[in-house]
Amino acid sequence: MSTQADSESDRVSTSVAQPIVTQARRFYLPTRRERHQLLLAAIFVGPWIIGLLAFTLYPIYYTVRLSFMRYGGFNEPVWIGLANYRRLINDDLFHTSLWNTFYYTGLAVPIGVVVAMTLALAMNQPLPEIPIYRAILFLPSVLPLFAISFIFWALLDPNQGIVNEALRSIGLSPPNWFGDVRFAKLGIVAIAQFGAGQIALVFLAGLKGIPQHLHDAAMIDGAGVISRFKNITLPLMTPVILYDIILGISLGLQVFIQAFIITKGGPANSTTFLVYYLYDNAFRFGGNMGYASAMGVVLFVITFIIAILVFQTSSRWVHYDLT
Amino acid sequence: MTQKDKFTSFITTTGGKHVTRRSLVKGAAGVSVAAAASTAFAVPMINAQDAAPVTFWTTHTSIGFDALTQIGADFNAQSESSVVEVIQRPPAEVDDSSSLITAVRGGEGPDVYLLDRFIVAERAAQGLLQDLGGLLEDSGENPDLSEKYVDFSAAEATYNGTPYALPFDTDVRALFYNTRMLSEAGVDLAAWDPANGVLTLDQVAEVANSLNVEDGANFSQVGFVPYFAQGHNYTWGFMFGGDYFNYENCELTPDDEEVAAAAQWVYDYSANTDADKLYAFIQTAMRPGAPPTDNPFLQERLAMMINGNWMFQQFRNEIPDVEVGYTYLPVPTDGMESTTWAGGWSGVVPQGAQNVEGGYEFLQYLCGPEGSRTYTEMNNNLPVLRELLEDTSLFDENLTWFVNELFPSTRNRPPLPVGARYWRELENAWQAIYLNTSEPADALATAKENTQVDLEAGGYCPIAQ
Amino acid sequence: MSSTTLSQIELRQRDRQRANRDRITRRINQQIVPRVILIGMCAVFILPFYWMLALGLKSNAELMLYPPTLYPHSPQWGNFDESTQVFPFWSFARNTLVITVVTIIGAVISNPIIAYGFSRIQWPGRDKVFLIVLATVFMPFPVIIVALFDIFSRLGWINTFLPLVVPMFFGQAFWIFLMRQFMLQISTDMSDAARVDGANEFQIFFQIILPQTIPALGVIAIFAGLHAWNDFLGPLLYLLDPDKYTLAIGLTFFQSTATYDVLFNLLMAASTLVVLPVIVLFLLFQKSFIEGISIGSIK
Repeated sequence: MSTQADSESDRVSTSVAQPIVTQARRFYLPTRRERHQLLLAAIFVGPWIIGLLAFTLYPIYYTVRLSFMRYGGFNEPVWIGLANYRRLINDDLFHTSLWNTFYYTGLAVPIGVVVAMTLALAMNQPLPEIPIYRAILFLPSVLPLFAISFIFWALLDPNQGIVNEALRSIGLSPPNWFGDVRFAKLGIVAIAQFGAGQIALVFLAGLKGIPQHLHDAAMIDGAGVISRFKNITLPLMTPVILYDIILGISLGLQVFIQAFIITKGGPANSTTFLVYYLYDNAFRFGGNMGYASAMGVVLFVITFIIAILVFQTSSRWVHYDLT
Repeated sequence: MTQKDKFTSFITTTGGKHVTRRSLVKGAAGVSVAAAASTAFAVPMINAQDAAPVTFWTTHTSIGFDALTQIGADFNAQSESSVVEVIQRPPAEVDDSSSLITAVRGGEGPDVYLLDRFIVAERAAQGLLQDLGGLLEDSGENPDLSEKYVDFSAAEATYNGTPYALPFDTDVRALFYNTRMLSEAGVDLAAWDPANGVLTLDQVAEVANSLNVEDGANFSQVGFVPYFAQGHNYTWGFMFGGDYFNYENCELTPDDEEVAAAAQWVYDYSANTDADKLYAFIQTAMRPGAPPTDNPFLQERLAMMINGNWMFQQFRNEIPDVEVGYTYLPVPTDGMESTTWAGGWSGVVPQGAQNVEGGYEFLQYLCGPEGSRTYTEMNNNLPVLRELLEDTSLFDENLTWFVNELFPSTRNRPPLPVGARYWRELENAWQAIYLNTSEPADALATAKENTQVDLEAGGYCPIAQ
Repeated sequence: MSSTTLSQIELRQRDRQRANRDRITRRINQQIVPRVILIGMCAVFILPFYWMLALGLKSNAELMLYPPTLYPHSPQWGNFDESTQVFPFWSFARNTLVITVVTIIGAVISNPIIAYGFSRIQWPGRDKVFLIVLATVFMPFPVIIVALFDIFSRLGWINTFLPLVVPMFFGQAFWIFLMRQFMLQISTDMSDAARVDGANEFQIFFQIILPQTIPALGVIAIFAGLHAWNDFLGPLLYLLDPDKYTLAIGLTFFQSTATYDVLFNLLMAASTLVVLPVIVLFLLFQKSFIEGISIGSIK
């Protein structure tokens, strides 16, 4: 168990892992052992660092620089300082796009976690024919988002769609999903849930990782299904749930393709998401690449802050390896 | 790792070649065109060393693309200095030039590109297009495009007094109606015959309203949906005689008196017919890229629509037995002249083109008498070349009417460096207006504000006409 | 006391009945209820797939009908073949396959290595640096399109598959995160013991840790493959020659800019074809994937 304590401390905390023997030092010089560890780490983590510099940091730096310019893509960029950012503050459509994006993310992420957990629990049932169910539940997440968007377009069509037809036959008057300001975002949230099969697999792996003896012990003690879920499954699944939340937020804030294909930002700008507006400014409205870059910077800062918040508060509710 | 190196070099060398070409075909006509094209393409390979390659990109599909491929083949057969390769790019919104922009920035752009004419001014202001003035003068052509091409097309292809594109084709809007549905409702079709003059909006509205049939909470049949198909903001604004841009002040004017009046008319029409019900009826057909089979006019559930001359093809394919009539776009007050507007495509030479001379040579052919003629014959759009318009053998009686009766009073959207933004804002405002979610004045004012900001931020003013 | 004996018999009888009821309840809970729920969920999830097939088989005339028919009355099996004529299906499929395979290779190689560095080696600042990894998760692709394009064009990679696959060899934040979570859960007993015995990190990585992460690797392979197969924006921007296009771009050819003739049934038929290989592969690999999860769960 002693080795467990070591590893536990550096898994749970986010602080620097110090070697066990410490001396009070005024300047932080890496000890010989630390240098050795750093070198090893550099070899393993090296590829990521290279990729980070080339494909992420440099483009970000480039984008930030561009956000202070007026640039049409071809002529020389012109330095305009903070003018783009000032414009963002006054741009109603930008505010709308922020609102739309947050609204969508705020809906899609919790729903996504619930759906993924439900799917995983369903896939985990000890029934003999479970591979069939698993395959069916996983299948829609395999379809390209592009194709799913088209399919949902047809599915939720007010006249041609089978969904509205079914709702009508039981006496409801279903809305015009993608054409109604109130429901367009919901339609897009629904599309996203159909891709839950992928993350459900990760949840399933997590469920399988819960030692059966915990469940057995609880059952002997008389715990029912719900109680076991609340006290055993859920706490042990928190790392996976955290992963899903972070993933969900990042994907949610980037929502773009469905709006690009189906709704084109409408109706009445209700599905103009931030990335959609950014794309329009970069490639359709001439001369606004700098402006689009400024939007990108704002998006990045916002999501970064949210990421930190989520991760920092996660230590309060995420349990790593309680066994 | 050697395997990966081999693979990498395989990928990069494949990337370097431009020789292979696939033609994207559909149907028997497509196959024969491809056969003809490929044999024509094969011939000049003998003197491939002498002929410089020209890359031509287009986002057209099916028949349009087949026609362009044919034009490319014909060009190659008659040119000794250039060989053109017609490449199909993935389709996108007409003002979405993302792949062209990124390609040109990456130094991999084409020599000639088929661009929607309405977006030419914006791309020119961005610096994406080459100024054709010098090329025109050097080849003995008049840099003033209106000599060779119809006015409205020349205007759109020119920005700040400089020609940036050669007009290629055009399409004009008119009012189409289902003669059977109208006559069954007791309408005197004589008044609807264009030979007997222009209808007023009141006349049209009266007939339209009498044709609305309700079925429970919805419409099963509607007479007219003013904003369907080509019933855009611009259409109605022009119908009322409005102007969308003031060159003197460099100011956008969607709040222009006449445009505002048009918006009010459509607002009221929706309100009187029940805006939500009307929209529910038409919503399926209005989604972007909806197939013709969704069009209620083709389903004979909609009696009239504002649409363009390209519809004749669809009428022939989908509803050959239905008698479709057409007439001038109606006017608000009796005695006014009817106005319509035209769009269309044009050929441009993007910046960074590797073979500007060859590209220009092909451009002249494409937008000249030979290319335009082939395109008109195969694709059934209208040409903009004056000399072709005089050739009556090109048009059936329907298109002849369009050319003779509509062209003289056809307007074009103002060529602005914020054209795409303006279009987007106007469409948004339009939707708010016809759904009755916003007062016309407010919606138009918002559209103006948002776009004016773009205009000023870009430092484009003043703009020469 | 005969009355006590009787009540004892009655008690036992009642116990037996209760046990029977419990057994039935348990059977319902374990056998019937899950099945009902599962079948319901499957119906919902299979609906879009079914609709795609149904639409793909409808004739043009049937597409026009209102109310829409629930199944194709006269299935046009020829639609599948016809849809492959609208664009060079097989050539695009080959391109997509190549990109997908290389992507999977890159992902399966790079992510475990990087995750190992973040989870099984102690080094100062490790967790802080990992926060940076997380931060990159939030880098939306369209934001850096222009910049990325500049880099790739300077490298001469435009119009090749390289911009699409090379970044995969440098790890992707999601997958590093996933592998790291998985590796953190692996007990340190064996790796500590091996270190004491003098094994170097590479040996520990290859011989001890990696075999235990096979289930996670399987998940990553699937995610990576799907990412590549379904990628849309990347191919659209980086691939310029038609002989390099992928299936995602191919599907867009069913739309049209100038002549509004979207062939909806052919589009659905083509979509079905695009999806089919993935389904087949999944069904094939599903067995080994499940085995991998089971092996992981025994621990």
